[in-house]
Amino acid sequence: MGATEHTQMALAEDLFQLVREPIDTRAILERLKAPEDGALVVFDGFVRDNFKGHHTVYLEYEAYEAMACAKMREIGGHMRANFAIDRLAIVHRLGRLEIGETSILIAVSSAHRAAAFDACRYAIDALKRGVPIWKKEYFEDGAVWAEGEKPTQQAISRPDSSTLR
Amino acid sequence: VRVLFFGQLKEIVGSAEQEAELSEGARVEDLFERYGRRFPELAQFRNSIAASVNQEYAEWRALLGPGDEVAFLPPVSGG
Repeated sequence: MGATEHTQMALAEDLFQLVREPIDTRAILERLKAPEDGALVVFDGFVRDNFKGHHTVYLEYEAYEAMACAKMREIGGHMRANFAIDRLAIVHRLGRLEIGETSILIAVSSAHRAAAFDACRYAIDALKRGVPIWKKEYFEDGAVWAEGEKPTQQAISRPDSSTLR
Repeated sequence: VRVLFFGQLKEIVGSAEQEAELSEGARVEDLFERYGRRFPELAQFRNSIAASVNQEYAEWRALLGPGDEVAFLPPVSGG
């Protein structure tokens, strides 16, 4: 199998999704474990039960879905271009999430651990600052939109040199 | 053009989607100013939000054309 052919196959297997059901972490990780790789790095972001001293009851996520999907794919493209990784998945959940439920799952496989760690770190940082997704925190006595960062394209295409090398 | 609001902005405007008629040569910032006049609370977000045109980040000075999809994006908090 030629190198180009291999790349195309790997790209076809990449997973970028916004979902409204619980994320099936186990199934995604099984899918990413290629026999030729030796490493799988996973970032599992889940709902915290507090925000600035307030007890969080649940969260709601919303997204500009078409743009968010496109930007997640773009992050995947940068991961491939900059790190020697094999398979990858970026899945974000939307709608109401209870405490402890996974909101974001990023998983990256590679032959050796460093590339997967670095790619995963880049992906979560880029997603948090460059993908149009919003979180509302619901407390017993009210709700607030989470304080976030002004979104930019640079977060995706020119991330910190500390993560992209 | 089609105009989309998300998060806090959607709550201020009271809807997620609007249609706007623009004169030729109108820019993203003109469109935002127009909504800022209708919804004064919106104007205070000018420096903390981003804009997109057809699902790509856009400058405030970007020119708009017929059929464009413009979105105003408050600070993001995914992950």
